[in-house]
Amino acid sequence: MMEKIIEIIKKISGEVPQNLIENFLSDTVSKFWKQYVMDIETVIKNRVESLKITIPNAMVNKEYKIEIPFDIEGVSEYSVEGLDDTGLAVEKQEKSFIISGTPTKSGTFSLSIKYRHDVSKLGEYLERKVDLIVNPDPRTLWKDLPVPDGIEYPKKNQQAEYVKVTALDGTPRKDIVAASKRGRSHANEGKPRDDDFRLYHNDENDWYVIAVADGAGSAKYSREGSRIACETAVNHCVNELKNCEKFEENITQYNLFKDESESEARKYVGDDIYKLIGVAAFKAHKAIDNEAEKKGVASKLYATTLLLAIAKKFDFGWFVATFWVGDGAICLYTEDKNGENPQSVLLGVPDEGEYAGQTRFLTMPEIFKDSTSLYKRLRFRIVNDFTALFLMTDGVSDPWFETDSNLNNSEKWQAFYKEIQDNKDHPVNLEDDNENAKDELLGWLDFWSPGNHDDRTIAILY
Amino acid sequence: MTRRLPVYILIDTSGSMKGEPIEAVKVGLADMVATLRQDPYALDTVCISIITFNNEVKQILPLTPLADLQLPEINTPESGPTNTGAALKMLCEMYDKEVIRGSKEKKGDWMPLLFVLTDGKPSDIMDYKNIIPVVKSHAFTNIVACAAGPKAKTEHLKQLTDNVVSLDTMDSQTFRKFFEWVSMQVQTGGKSVGTTDEVALPEPPAEVNIVI
Repeated sequence: MMEKIIEIIKKISGEVPQNLIENFLSDTVSKFWKQYVMDIETVIKNRVESLKITIPNAMVNKEYKIEIPFDIEGVSEYSVEGLDDTGLAVEKQEKSFIISGTPTKSGTFSLSIKYRHDVSKLGEYLERKVDLIVNPDPRTLWKDLPVPDGIEYPKKNQQAEYVKVTALDGTPRKDIVAASKRGRSHANEGKPRDDDFRLYHNDENDWYVIAVADGAGSAKYSREGSRIACETAVNHCVNELKNCEKFEENITQYNLFKDESESEARKYVGDDIYKLIGVAAFKAHKAIDNEAEKKGVASKLYATTLLLAIAKKFDFGWFVATFWVGDGAICLYTEDKNGENPQSVLLGVPDEGEYAGQTRFLTMPEIFKDSTSLYKRLRFRIVNDFTALFLMTDGVSDPWFETDSNLNNSEKWQAFYKEIQDNKDHPVNLEDDNENAKDELLGWLDFWSPGNHDDRTIAILY
Repeated sequence: MTRRLPVYILIDTSGSMKGEPIEAVKVGLADMVATLRQDPYALDTVCISIITFNNEVKQILPLTPLADLQLPEINTPESGPTNTGAALKMLCEMYDKEVIRGSKEKKGDWMPLLFVLTDGKPSDIMDYKNIIPVVKSHAFTNIVACAAGPKAKTEHLKQLTDNVVSLDTMDSQTFRKFFEWVSMQVQTGGKSVGTTDEVALPEPPAEVNIVI
């Protein structure tokens, strides 16, 4: 081969010094060799650049681990840089690399993958850049801004109350505990709480009255709407229940005949309930209309839900009656001494639309357009006893129940009742006469649930 | 699972958008995503889908939670028609496929938002006319249509929605302001509303003109 090349050269140029021929051969070979290496580099580079590398986004404070395949024919030498001080580290494998750790910083980080081909170590390192997005931890982004001074209808950011009803003749009596807290989404914008509640117990005749209301987030004065609704509705019930012998007599009659489905007795109690809590709700609707008129604005600016319950223990058991407009939940819950055999009854139907946040409000005229519309929002029943009567706004019912079918599932209510008492950070001790329960319940309302940051209000008769 | 707020963004990528306009749109989109990522509520709830349209229509980003989102490349051909009608048709198909309606067993999404950005008029005018009632049968909290640049026509967009805005120029400052305004709407999107109430749009910046 060598002789053949020398022969060709001699044919062209005659006798040539040996060293000149050697120089020529070395120059030529290195020139073509370099070209050859460059061609390989280009091939490798195209392979790397066309490799689809997708790195899923990470989140601060959330453990992250992902294996990214990096299997390029002809490349075994490569490094990955660019994650210093991010809390993440890269571990190189033969045909992939693993990014893992718990991110400490948010942002878009540019990862640099440096590689060169195996054929010649002479080649320069080439670089491919890939972005890794680290989201902030949403929990640390929430701001707790105070409500500006001097707003119309100021309202405290939280409210808690305990109605202690002491034992009578040695028999313990049920108490009411309630708590309401401004949601993170409101606190983040320095907006006031829109929820409200009101509790009452008549020490003379032992009637309990509970109202819970959720002002619509989109309505300007809904915080006042919810306040007026609770105040007006409860006041009406309180007054009506001062002298209610006839009503109680009807309830007693109803108890005797309650197994006959369409009894006269049921009708009488139905009429009483209509006059009592149906009218209470209507008065609340009217009171909001009046306030809106005084202010010269539309009453829908005061849009609010209303959940109202009255209850009393009779010799034969508990009588409970309710009115419910809007979302949230009213549930009568019973379990045995061991926390087993759960039974739950939803006292009404939540008003929910096809899309989240759609509901009906006390301020809507159609709620009271005729007696049938109002009747279907009323419920009453007699039970031997119960464990807890819950009234809550959707700020609580949404995160824990999500759907209608869960709201009608006794086991979900069993789990919920357990959760309140056994929460590892904020357990609520629902023992008789424990007045601390109101602060414990406020603490419990701080639970975390992604996407559920509305105002939260719950009242429990237990 | 969390209640999602679906946000559909339709972007005109016809030939006339090539160059500075589309680069400005990309910057605006990136800014919007960066802004929303700093909002804890958005990070929990917002999902974004991007559909581009020229002579062909592509959903370049299927409905994706903000936390998982990576903006895809947006390419524009040298020239070609603006098939807005076909884009709206795909939008309706994706809506039917992706948006979760509440039922007894399932938690519903927030009502979606729709933004349409175009610099011309629909080339597929018949398709466009036919699809409008179909779009309207899909519930959106708001549909905002934006006519970008001096050549953009607003009369067709008016048939789609009452909320039509126009941009006088197509530079990055203008698009940045437009997307800032979009971000504000997205941030207020997940709020409790009545069954019938419409949500008022926030005050637009000076660069964004409301078309009456």
